[in-house]
This record gives sequence, C-alpha cells and structure tokens, in this order.
Amino acid sequence: MTLMERMRVLSEGTKYDSCNQSAVCHAFGPDGRCIQLYKTLMTNACCGECTYCPNRCGRDSVKATLSPEEIVKITWSFYRRNAVEGLFLSSGVIGDAEKTAEQQLEVARLLRTQGFAGYIHIRVMPGTPKYLLEEISDCANKFGVNAETTSSINYSEICPNFHYNSDVLQRLKWTRDLINRKRREAGKRGRIIGANDTQFVVGAVQESDREIIGTVEKFMDRYELRRPYFMSFDPVPFTPLENNDPSPLWREIRLYQTSYLLKDYGMTANDLDNVLDDNGFLPDNDPKMLLASCNPELFPVDVNSATREDLLRVPGIGPVGANRIVSSRPINSEKELSRMGVVLSRARPFVEINGKRQTNLFSFAGVGA
Amino acid sequence: MIVAFRENVDGVLLACKELIENPDCDLLSAKGRAELKQKMEFTGIEDVKTLGFRGSTDTTKIVSNLFGNKRSRMFQRDPDVEGYIAMVLRHRSSRAIELVRFLVSCQGNVELLYSGKSNIGKKYYNCMRDVSRSYHRMCMFARPYLANGVLSVKVESPHQIGDMFCRWLARKNPDVPVSVIEGDIAWIGNGNHVGLEHFTKVPSSLAGSLEFSEACDEVDDMWDMYYDSQIIQKRRNKTHAKQLQPKLSASMSKMAERDRYKVERGISNYTLDNFTSG
Repeated sequence: MTLMERMRVLSEGTKYDSCNQSAVCHAFGPDGRCIQLYKTLMTNACCGECTYCPNRCGRDSVKATLSPEEIVKITWSFYRRNAVEGLFLSSGVIGDAEKTAEQQLEVARLLRTQGFAGYIHIRVMPGTPKYLLEEISDCANKFGVNAETTSSINYSEICPNFHYNSDVLQRLKWTRDLINRKRREAGKRGRIIGANDTQFVVGAVQESDREIIGTVEKFMDRYELRRPYFMSFDPVPFTPLENNDPSPLWREIRLYQTSYLLKDYGMTANDLDNVLDDNGFLPDNDPKMLLASCNPELFPVDVNSATREDLLRVPGIGPVGANRIVSSRPINSEKELSRMGVVLSRARPFVEINGKRQTNLFSFAGVGA
Repeated sequence: MIVAFRENVDGVLLACKELIENPDCDLLSAKGRAELKQKMEFTGIEDVKTLGFRGSTDTTKIVSNLFGNKRSRMFQRDPDVEGYIAMVLRHRSSRAIELVRFLVSCQGNVELLYSGKSNIGKKYYNCMRDVSRSYHRMCMFARPYLANGVLSVKVESPHQIGDMFCRWLARKNPDVPVSVIEGDIAWIGNGNHVGLEHFTKVPSSLAGSLEFSEACDEVDDMWDMYYDSQIIQKRRNKTHAKQLQPKLSASMSKMAERDRYKVERGISNYTLDNFTSG
C-alpha cells in the first residue's frame, strides 16, 4: 500500500475521536466538526478483541501501519502549511499496551527533538505502564485513556482483554496526578497541559443515561475530568455486536448537553434525575428546558436581583450571559438582554424585568401568580 | 483647550485621562505626526496639547486609574482593556474620538466595555469582536507555502491585521523566517534567521522574490485525502458547516477554497472505477 492509502485507512480509524483542545480550528468538514489536529492511528492491526471495534483482532479488514518517521513527516507538512495545530495519535494495540506506548512515545520524542512547537495529544491504551505515562507527559500536551463504559461488568462485556479497575481507572488516576504535576512545573507561561479527558461508547452495552451521567460526575470529582467525549455506537459488520441496534445520534447530543450542565452550570447528577424517564434515559429534548419545565415554582427569576446560580437555571442564559447580566445591572428592557447574548425566545417565559413578565394561559384563567 | 492625540493605545488612554481632568477640552486625533500637521494646517489651529506622539506610556497604570484593577472579560478570549482598544482602533469604522468619549463615559465600570448594554458599547464591542474574528479566521484559513526557506503567505483584510497574523505565525514556527504580504507591505517575522530584525516590515516589492505556489503540491493532495477521511457522511450538517467554514474562507487559500466547496457540495464517493466496473 502507498503512503497515501495507509494514511487514509488510519485517519478514517480516528474520525469518531474528538480532539477539542480550544485552539485554532483550521477547517470544518461537511458534518460541521472542526479539524484542529492531524488525527491518526499508528496501526489498525490490533490484538484486542473489543466487541464493537472495527479494528478488533480477527476481523477481516484492510490492515495498515505508519512508521513513527512517516507520522512525523506528515505532521510537519500539515503544520507548516498551517492546516493543523498538531497531532492526535491513537493506535490499535501492538502486542501489548507497553509496546504500543513505546511507539507512541517515539513519535512524540521525534517531533519534539526536531523543534516541533505544536500540540500533541496521545490516546494511550488501557494498561499503559506508569513509567511510560510519565515519559509521555514530558512530550505531550494531552494524554488520556478511554473509559468506554460505566462499570467493570459492562467493560468486561465489550473489552474482554482489559480490566476496568486496574487498566482504566488506575490510569485515569495516574494521568490526573501527572497533569497536575506537569501544570505546576509548566507554570502560567509554560507548555499547555490539557485536562484529563476520556471517551464513552454510548449504546454498545445496555447502560442507561442515568449510569453515564453518574459516572461522568464521579469522574469529574475523582479524576478531575474536564470534558467527557461520547461516541454513539454504530454496529460494525463482522463483529459480535453487528446485530445490535445503533445508538441514535440525538442521544449523544443530549449527553453532551447534560455534561455541560455538570461542567459549566454547577448542576449535579441528582438535579438531572427529574429529566430522565422511568428507565433512566434522556428524552430527545433539551435537558435544561425540561429541567425548567419540571420546576415551575423556581420561575420567573428577576434578572435584576437573581443570583448567578438562579440565572443559570434559565433556558437561553448561559455562563457568559449570566456574567454579563450580573455585572451590568440594572437591566431595564428585553432589548438589553438580547444585546448581552440571551436567547430571548427561550428565556422569556422564565424571566421577569422590573416586575414585568410574559403572560401565559394561567394568568388569563386567573390561576396561579 | 484642544487636545490632539495619536490613534494608538497610548494616545487613546492619555486622551481619556486628559478628558477626565478637563471635560470641556476639544479632541483631535491623528494617525501620526504628518496627519496631525495636515489637520492643524487645514483647520488653522496652532496651539494644541499633543498626547501619545513621543515615547511610550505606562498604559497599565492609566488603565488601573481609569478602570481599577478589576478584570472583566465576557468570553474567555476577550482581550484586556489595552487589547480591546488596540483591536477597536484597527477596525475600519472605528472613530478614535468617539472611542475616547465612550471609555470616559463608562466612569470606571469596565464591564460596560464588554457587556454591550448600551448602543455605543455594543458598537465598540462588536468592532472588537469583528477584528478579533477576522484575525482568527486568518489564523484558521491562511495557508503559507515554504519557498526559498521562507514561510510566505499573501493576506487581505479590511482591518489591517497582517502584523498580528505575522506575529502569530512566527510564534508558531520559531525556527523559520515568515513573511506576510498585505497590500504593499510585507511583515517579516523571525527575521533574525535572514539577518533582519526579529520583527519588521519591508515594502512588498522586496519580498517579491518569494515565489507563491498556486499549483497543488503533494501536501495539498495529502490534505484533501485527510480531509475526506474525517467526514461522517451520516452526520452531514450543511447549514452548520457553512457557518463555520464561511464563504469568505474560500478567498483565503486554495486549500480552504476546496474545503469550502466540499462543505457546499459534499464529498463524492464515486471515482472513475465506479463507471468502468459497472
């Protein structure tokens, strides 16, 4: 296979991975997702037997490998052309996690010794030894391991070659500690060190959204997870899960929305319990709007006296809008709110400005306040 | 009293300070000494107090006097007050005198610069965001070519941000000299590699020896292949993608133009092989 053909095969293997690192995006695909990094696998010839994965051992597919030197060359070419900010490097398991991490480390080291100042994100394999994680943390800006699911029972179902507690959770703890240490060493002006992150495959096993939200909250608390990534399960032919139903895309979107509510809005998994159905799944609706509708007694909030926390519960007001409102009081009109970036069409039923609020059917009927 | 100030961060801040001390003074602004002289000759004014035309000023001190030490940014990437003024002044429709009066009218409330609560506040916040957006788009979609050992690119912008982009590109590639050509000026970054100052500007004619490749090279082909490999066809969202990869981006580089075309038309899975085999 030519370099271009191998490159295509291995880049396609990472297209579901998100690599958001809050830097410059250099292109956007027709699906609206940004391209910031050159994302590639080192190889798709994996010796793991993950039941959902197209690269699983024994599945008949085109196998390809890029050498560290080839990855370095391609990364430099794209970087000089200002087409990417750096490299996202993942891989199939080459023999074992240690050998794979050694190869990944070689790529990062080669780039750094050649003076590469860009961003390097390495997705390490479950079970990567601690000494290699430490060496990777010397070269990479971000490194982490995928949790894939919510519990060891679920994990053993989809990733039979690894152990959830020792190969994943233990690594999440190590990466958390390494990130904190590297951030302290780098200081404010040093190399950017990205926060701990992980990815969940949504819908491969029958875990509920309640379980996922609870796990995300637990990870945020224990492993200082900043942002979880979700990947909808899509059955791959010739894998053990080929006959399972695909997870709908909207489920992934609703999970992202709830993760933002946990991350930026100060909400807890218990707060979100109200919006889940009896089986613990999110409906296909905006969770914040549902939450507001479930708690009508909390509204309307007076924009001139409400706390930031109360404002954050209003649909259409985000953290930026809430900051603006708090620092720009008094607010005298809807127009001012609109100028501050509040989405009035969503926020209007839930806010009050100088005693004025949107009327509703209950008011006409003389019911309620 | 007439106060003439230079249309830069120093001049604007000094003018703010002066306007607070002498609220009745009249303001006059100029981009440089030559323009000031021209304006004075045109209006017949002889006696003016000039601010910001010589030396540099401790702007941090003036900002803390004007707005205190409180930092306020609505978005994480919003610049501080000095950055805000610098951005606004680059905007083609900014008026330096109006900006000075707006800054003074905030009466020390730095949030009013960013909140967009008043009409004038919204106008200047939008100017700042406009310039910032143009700069970020340039960082996103401009594609320099390595020619004769120099990383070179031609850019166009209504807001005079070539120097900002050049500094960014030089920081990103500290080991090679970079050249950003904007109209008849060429900004040179990392100039020390070619015996120039670290950051300088030269007439673009001097940078004319740099060859700009318009033809596709191997990197372009690799990029096209990589770009196509990252698309999830089932999730195509044309409206959203068009907002993020705007029409404007297509004019910034050939690569961005091809990417924009794919956003518009999608990526065809058909090749000549499909026709011959069928």
